[in-house]
Amino acid sequence: MLFDTLKELCELNAPSGFEKPVAEEIIRRLDGIYDYRVDNLGNILAFKKGKATPKNKIMLSAHMDEVGMIVTGVLPDGMLRIGMVGGIDPRVVLGRTVSVGEQKLPGVLGTKAMHMQTEEERSTAVPADKLYVDIGAKDKEDALKAVPLGTPVSFCGPYRELGEELICSKAIDDRFGCAVLLEMLKSDLPYDVHVAFCVQEEVGLRGSRTAAYTIAPDIAIVVETTTASDLPGVEEERQVCRLGKGPAVSFMDRSTIYDRELYDLAFRIAKEHDSPCQTKTMIAGGNDAGAIHVSRGGVKTIAVSLPGRYLHSPSTVVSKADALAAAKLIPLLAEEAASL
Amino acid sequence: MDVAELLLTLSGCTGVSGAEQPVAERIAEIIKPFCQRVEIDPLGSVLASVRPAKEGYPTVLLDAHMDEVGMIVTYIDDKGFLKVGNCGGVDRRLLLAQRVIVHGKEPVYGVIAAPPPHLSTGEERKKVPSMDELVIDIGCSPERARELVRPGDRVTIDAPGARLLNDRICAKASDDRAGVAAVLRAVELLDKEEFPWGIKALFSVQEEVGERGAKAGGFAADCDIALAVDVSFALTSDAPEHKCGRMGEGPMIGISPTLTASISDRFVALAKEHDIPYQLEVMAGETSTNADALGVAGKGAKTGLLSIPLRYMHTPVEVTEPADMENTARLLKEFIKEGGELYAV
Repeated sequence: MLFDTLKELCELNAPSGFEKPVAEEIIRRLDGIYDYRVDNLGNILAFKKGKATPKNKIMLSAHMDEVGMIVTGVLPDGMLRIGMVGGIDPRVVLGRTVSVGEQKLPGVLGTKAMHMQTEEERSTAVPADKLYVDIGAKDKEDALKAVPLGTPVSFCGPYRELGEELICSKAIDDRFGCAVLLEMLKSDLPYDVHVAFCVQEEVGLRGSRTAAYTIAPDIAIVVETTTASDLPGVEEERQVCRLGKGPAVSFMDRSTIYDRELYDLAFRIAKEHDSPCQTKTMIAGGNDAGAIHVSRGGVKTIAVSLPGRYLHSPSTVVSKADALAAAKLIPLLAEEAASL
Repeated sequence: MDVAELLLTLSGCTGVSGAEQPVAERIAEIIKPFCQRVEIDPLGSVLASVRPAKEGYPTVLLDAHMDEVGMIVTYIDDKGFLKVGNCGGVDRRLLLAQRVIVHGKEPVYGVIAAPPPHLSTGEERKKVPSMDELVIDIGCSPERARELVRPGDRVTIDAPGARLLNDRICAKASDDRAGVAAVLRAVELLDKEEFPWGIKALFSVQEEVGERGAKAGGFAADCDIALAVDVSFALTSDAPEHKCGRMGEGPMIGISPTLTASISDRFVALAKEHDIPYQLEVMAGETSTNADALGVAGKGAKTGLLSIPLRYMHTPVEVTEPADMENTARLLKEFIKEGGELYAV
């Protein structure tokens, strides 16, 4: 169930600021069942009544947007200039097909043949400002007929099973969070919960800022995806976290020093339920917690993240076992946090 | 045959240098109805005897290479990750986080990684990993990895083709499946025509690692005229203009000291006569195509070269325009059909 939802959500294209396809799918699943509203930025703020109203108002959040690109100009020969939306290593887009705009026009990011490159060019990455998308247009006018400036561009990275128990897809960051929260809403909940599906995380934690303001929670749980660098040749302390070792719960990253009580609680619950859980062994990354924990007068915040290799690429790789362990931990954590 | 359809079909077949069997089988199947005989030579090339020459007339060999650049598994490490080397010229700048198919016991999906991924910022993002630093993540335990994959298995980038605007086609291995498509189409166009020349077609292996298939195939075909059909650079704004042709403006007729001048001239004359768009590609010596090997195979052959303009050569997103393939096929057809007494033996 979780993976069906995840696959459906990952296959939608929603770079930051263009979250509509994902928002519509989430609303389709909420409509008529749960209370929800869509705020001025496009965040979906849902509420589900539980068996009781808890001592602490709990907000769970995930972001709907994904990293992508946006058309910033057209060259005389009809090539589209692009800007990166969110933190993309330009090395992971060259030599790939992309999907341009709502009409999903195929485009490619090519380069002059290696035969015409100098030795230095061959070993230097093509910087983002030298990348262009070829949609087959004959010239500038031809291109602009099909693609106006400001059109979003998405990775093509179909959802696929990889190896023994891994998944590979674009946009797992953070459709995973969206999928977990949608599944959680379906279950019987002991307490009321607020769930925020946020916009614009990848361009500065912007949606979650207003979502947290409106919901005004006491405690927030961010459901995310985080970098795992568990590859050969990477020293153990630089691996950050590892696939197959359960969800990652961090004490500190680049945006947040997490609430210590919630941090300890997450590990205690995982241990009690014999479910794997790991800490991040490097201060790296950041997520909506950075905006949420400083909302209003301050919010005790924790993030539970699915470890993913090759994050912010068309081919993020995660473990199904980790995903299931996270999906198990999150409702338990919300339940206990509600009565802290 | 619709050349665009044909190119997408051929692009979907696997055939990294030295392991061309899947694409060879498909090509043999397609050309068979037009041929007297189709054989696979000892290196794996498809040699098709299309029709014999009438007494006193030459047999022309049409060549296009069917191999594609790719990678080859060299080692499986103790975590189940694969190490690879390149088969032919692979542009390393576009490999990170690419999806690949490892052609093992069964097709195995994988992702290319170079540690440390994505912690890198600034300076590190400008670096291009060497082949040696790359690994392929197939998500398997070392035991399972060794069951599925052996050193020597080929790896291709998982790149489904796409139709772009203006009928242009994005398809991996268009170098030189676009040439293969043009040769197949030429053979079809000539099928019902009356003319005295004989035709053989060679779909050669291992061009990308040194024109090896053409060396052996050219010898075995033993023709007096050999025409290589390959791809060449189509202009993009990041490329030097003087080295490029233009997409959609017809086959690039090769002119070079290593090619037979009278063949180049004949191509130009026929293109003008039959209103076939063309461009000239002048090279100062060897052409880095099979024409180099075909010209000196065995007793030697008069050699011509037609190239289809292609963008982004040796990337998984090579782009061509089908009209250029169709026009290449038309020009080949006229060359053979109207050969007459020219080059009579």
